[in-house]
Amino acid sequence: MKNKYMFGGIIIVVFLGIMIYLFTQSNIQYQDDFTQVMNTTKTVKATGSWVKEKSYHQDKQNKTFSFYMVDDNGNEMKVVYNGSIPNNFETATSVVVTGKYVNGYFHAKDILTKCPSKYEDERVQTSTL
Amino acid sequence: MVGTIFLVIALAFSILAMVMYYLSFKGYKNTLNYARISYHGMVLFIIAASTLLWYALINHQYQYNYVFSYSNNSLDTGFLIASFWGGQQGSFMLWLLLTAIVGVILQSYTSKRKELEPQVMAVFTIATSFLLVMVSPWFKNPFEFIWATPMFLEMKSINPQYLELPFLQQFFFTDNSSGTGFIQMNSQLHGLLAGSGISVNQFIADGKGLNPQLLNFWMQIHPPILFVGFAMATVPFAFALGALMKNDYKEWVRQAFPWLLAGMGVLGLGIMLGGYWAYEMLGWGGYWAWDPVENSSLIPWIVGVAGIHTLLVQRKSQSKGGIGRFAKTNLILCVLTYVLVLYSTFLTRSGVLGDASVHSFVDPGNIVYFFLLLFTGTFLILGLGAIVYRWKWLSDNTQTDEGLLSRELALFTAAVVLLASGLIILVGTSAPIFGQSVDTFFYNEMNLPIAIIIGLLNGLSLLIKWRNTKTEDLLKKSLPSLSIALLISVLIVVLGGIDEILIMLLAFSMAFSLVVNTEIAIKIIRGNKKMLGAYVAHIGIALFILGVIGSSVNSQQVDVDLVKNESVSAFGYEMTFTGWMPIDNNTKYSFNIDVKKGDSEYKVRPVMYVSDFNNSLMRIPAILTLPSQDLYISPLGYDEAKHNHSTDGTKISLKKGSSTEFNGVNITFTKFHLGEGTMAAMQEGKDFQMGALISIEKDGKVEEIELLRKQISGKIEFTSFVSEEFDINLKLANLTADNVEIALSKMSKVAEERIEEKQEVLYVSASIKPFISFVWIGVAVMVIGFFISVMRRLQETLSG
Repeated sequence: MKNKYMFGGIIIVVFLGIMIYLFTQSNIQYQDDFTQVMNTTKTVKATGSWVKEKSYHQDKQNKTFSFYMVDDNGNEMKVVYNGSIPNNFETATSVVVTGKYVNGYFHAKDILTKCPSKYEDERVQTSTL
Repeated sequence: MVGTIFLVIALAFSILAMVMYYLSFKGYKNTLNYARISYHGMVLFIIAASTLLWYALINHQYQYNYVFSYSNNSLDTGFLIASFWGGQQGSFMLWLLLTAIVGVILQSYTSKRKELEPQVMAVFTIATSFLLVMVSPWFKNPFEFIWATPMFLEMKSINPQYLELPFLQQFFFTDNSSGTGFIQMNSQLHGLLAGSGISVNQFIADGKGLNPQLLNFWMQIHPPILFVGFAMATVPFAFALGALMKNDYKEWVRQAFPWLLAGMGVLGLGIMLGGYWAYEMLGWGGYWAWDPVENSSLIPWIVGVAGIHTLLVQRKSQSKGGIGRFAKTNLILCVLTYVLVLYSTFLTRSGVLGDASVHSFVDPGNIVYFFLLLFTGTFLILGLGAIVYRWKWLSDNTQTDEGLLSRELALFTAAVVLLASGLIILVGTSAPIFGQSVDTFFYNEMNLPIAIIIGLLNGLSLLIKWRNTKTEDLLKKSLPSLSIALLISVLIVVLGGIDEILIMLLAFSMAFSLVVNTEIAIKIIRGNKKMLGAYVAHIGIALFILGVIGSSVNSQQVDVDLVKNESVSAFGYEMTFTGWMPIDNNTKYSFNIDVKKGDSEYKVRPVMYVSDFNNSLMRIPAILTLPSQDLYISPLGYDEAKHNHSTDGTKISLKKGSSTEFNGVNITFTKFHLGEGTMAAMQEGKDFQMGALISIEKDGKVEEIELLRKQISGKIEFTSFVSEEFDINLKLANLTADNVEIALSKMSKVAEERIEEKQEVLYVSASIKPFISFVWIGVAVMVIGFFISVMRRLQETLSG
């Protein structure tokens, strides 16, 4: 009986150990401060908004898609994604990109676009009456 | 309004049913009938409210916020029906409706089986009460009027005939960044409209419509099936908690078993239909992307399936008279299955996954967050609390005599391994709550060894007997299957070019499981077909995993530019883009690609369109399904052909003797020039040329030029004239009896013009997914297996 629990216990400990190790290995932090994003070599999920004024660029030769993102403090960075423009991108207000910042721009391996839901506060009344 | 009242009445009935059932359980004699009437009253009002919501959607009653936000005039009936669950409120409503209906079946089921009804239904009605609070006017009510909370409507939604109304002025708003206009709909505007005799439904002409990502066939199928699975997961919980209330742990196992099987069968089907939908959509990362929303419905499934295995052991070991083995485990697993369904809802609807998932709902507000937390927490505490309270009654006093090689232990190990997998996914999926997230390799690396063990157990546990097996017997029995499995897996490894050890082991373990299960299934099929369930389900799982190996290990992808009418080959397919055509009333464009492989020819049609909903370019891939693999073609973009003139250039038409001016240059068409014998050559169909004499003049400088129309072996060519001095480029475009057409552009634009003269090009990404059909076939076979087992276990609930 005692052996049974010992055996089970060891398996659980080993399993949890491997899980925690792999978790830390594959862990990706969210980062909404782009100065931090630019200063780390780790893969991060950078959250910010797409700079609409600078538009986006699709390079058909190299099959890349690039645009500019800005964080809440106004730090801007260029994002390059190996692939085509994601569905829904044009109306996205906030964007989450996964990847790392190397050689002057953010190499995104994944783009998640969020659609506007809360920008209604910015509207102003135009009536003159 | 009526809908809201119906839901409030239903809530009252639900609470009444709960109390009455509890009193009946406590031994009161007259309360059972009241409980039943209340429950069925609740169901009727829920059905009535749902019917009202469907009626409002189909008849475009935009005075309801929900109808306005999730449907519009252009949706066809199928999608109007599906828009019922397009948003949060409606999907809670669907869950409630299906739970209520499942409860009707459960009520009739339990009433025929040993006085189980009061205890089970008392618990079940706690769940319906919570769901009814969720859709009540205080939380996510689908019948909320559009003016209840101020809302901005786009101008295009408003019936234009009312835009002139004088009082409307004070409701005009403009978005500063985009400059688009809105009308703020609030109770004041509603009052003014009503005062003028205009109903809100007349005032609003069209709704927002459904997100184009949801305009997919599977939108009509996947959510209802998933919610049936969710609703059925309530039942084992109700049985388990009911058993704890009664402190009787024998009967519930037998009675809950078919429900758990059926629930997990439906939930599994629902999950993989979602996977198929994701496979058909771009940007969702294929059929399984370990997206938190996908994961969150998989976790309760895995836990429920683990429960099936241990429940089976308890059933079997009850034959010795006690409550059976794993009594605690089974109660915990049945409780957790439903609690994890609730947790899944919490994750996907509370907004915590907002930044982490492509599917999740955003920002439902704080109250909903806390209510969902309360909902989940209540069931967790009720369930686990009761187990702790009854802990000392839950020990099995019968002697355990099974050895290491017993089916009991193998089944238990299977459950433990499944739970390990569930825990891994739970940890990774919950990480976003703490601002963390994991890369998908976390799930892949962790689950790979687990899948290998599952495959081996899957085969092994069927070769060993209940209680104990002699080692030599096992070796003798497993030798043939092992060798066949080895042969198959070597074939897979060699043909598939697999070079990773773990994947090889996985292929072997699945081949082993496949062989053993098939062997037994073939033996049984001649005898009692009802016994087939487990084997069929396990064959399904093995096929599924083999499909996963095939489609992920050997998937290849390449981007190709398809120039119109020029064939390009990739992965042994010859693809030719033959042109596009408008479809769906000119709102979408379908691109025709002819695909040739060997002697077979196919046509595939990816689609692109700009959606009105979000002004975004939407791309729909085309999938060519062949027996051994899928060719998956997703459109990336399309370039129109520019016919002989650049955007900066113009095309002019000049009559003989007339002139025109371009970029400061005077251009005069003086006369045609036909060489000697031209007329004769024309008539005889030989090669010939005609010229147009043109004089150009700029700042006093004059030059006479000739542009030619040449006909060489039936092909027509035009010549052009380029002058740096005049900064002009003239190209003859056409020559008719009395005038010429000339394409003009600036000299400096010539280079660009040449580029833009290229033909129509469709940019696509083509990939092949070998043996992906095994993934779908595997799931289908597995679900069939589940239901064969349901039939068998259902019969057992009535005996004895």
